[in-house]
Amino acid sequence: MVTPANDFPTTGAGESPLSFWQWFLQRVSGLILISLVGVHMWMGHFSGLGEVIAGNQDELVAYDVVKQRLTQGLFIFVDFSLLALVLYHGLSGLCSVLLEWPPAARRVRQVFIGISLLGIATFVYGAKVLLDFIL
Amino acid sequence: MVAPLRTFFACSGLSRDRLSGSRAGWWAWLLQRVTGLGLVIYLFLHIGVISTVQLGADTFDDVLAVLQTPFFVVLDLMLATAILYHGLNGIRVILIDLGIGIKRQVELFWACLALTTLTMVAVTYFSLPLIARG
Repeated sequence: MVTPANDFPTTGAGESPLSFWQWFLQRVSGLILISLVGVHMWMGHFSGLGEVIAGNQDELVAYDVVKQRLTQGLFIFVDFSLLALVLYHGLSGLCSVLLEWPPAARRVRQVFIGISLLGIATFVYGAKVLLDFIL
Repeated sequence: MVAPLRTFFACSGLSRDRLSGSRAGWWAWLLQRVTGLGLVIYLFLHIGVISTVQLGADTFDDVLAVLQTPFFVVLDLMLATAILYHGLNGIRVILIDLGIGIKRQVELFWACLALTTLTMVAVTYFSLPLIARG
């Protein structure tokens, strides 16, 4: 028996252009995030593990380590892209979950505007924090 | 545990077609939501912690030193588990969206769980020195 595909979104193509684009961008951002989060986790949690275990380095993450990493253009690109994409993916997902809740579903516009403002404000704040390491 | 959750989601209007399929599919959907919401909360905490750099390098290092104590290493491992499951199940959802593996979506769910478990066993093993050094 074929099991119904019950755990993938019902908000896919066919409802409105906005829901299609939200569905599409959620998947594209998710796929890109898999590699960006992988790089971020590796650099933050594993790349210095040998040095810490050997006693050559006190902590995996420290100001000097992060600042040194952010002198390289590649990691500046990775961290800013990660900040933007993870905020988009996370808040878009949160929006979808909220809009499945009837009281929120009756206020689509307010939920969308509220979450968008939260995302923009957090990106600006996060970018300023990253610039504190870079500048 | 499943029955009360199903009732809650049914009453709240969150269920609809998702509860009609297999139990594994329902768990896959629920875990994706729970890990996703947890990761959103973590994202804001993470940005908050990193922002302590604005108080100076020493403050940042002091805060980060606390967050690398064994207790927080264990929390980090839980975080990595959530990220891994969310990512793997996300790939599974995309495959199903594309019409790939629809007949095997339950097996794919178990594969996600197995891969998450095996990877985290290995990661935990390599992280043991960090947990033990406390």
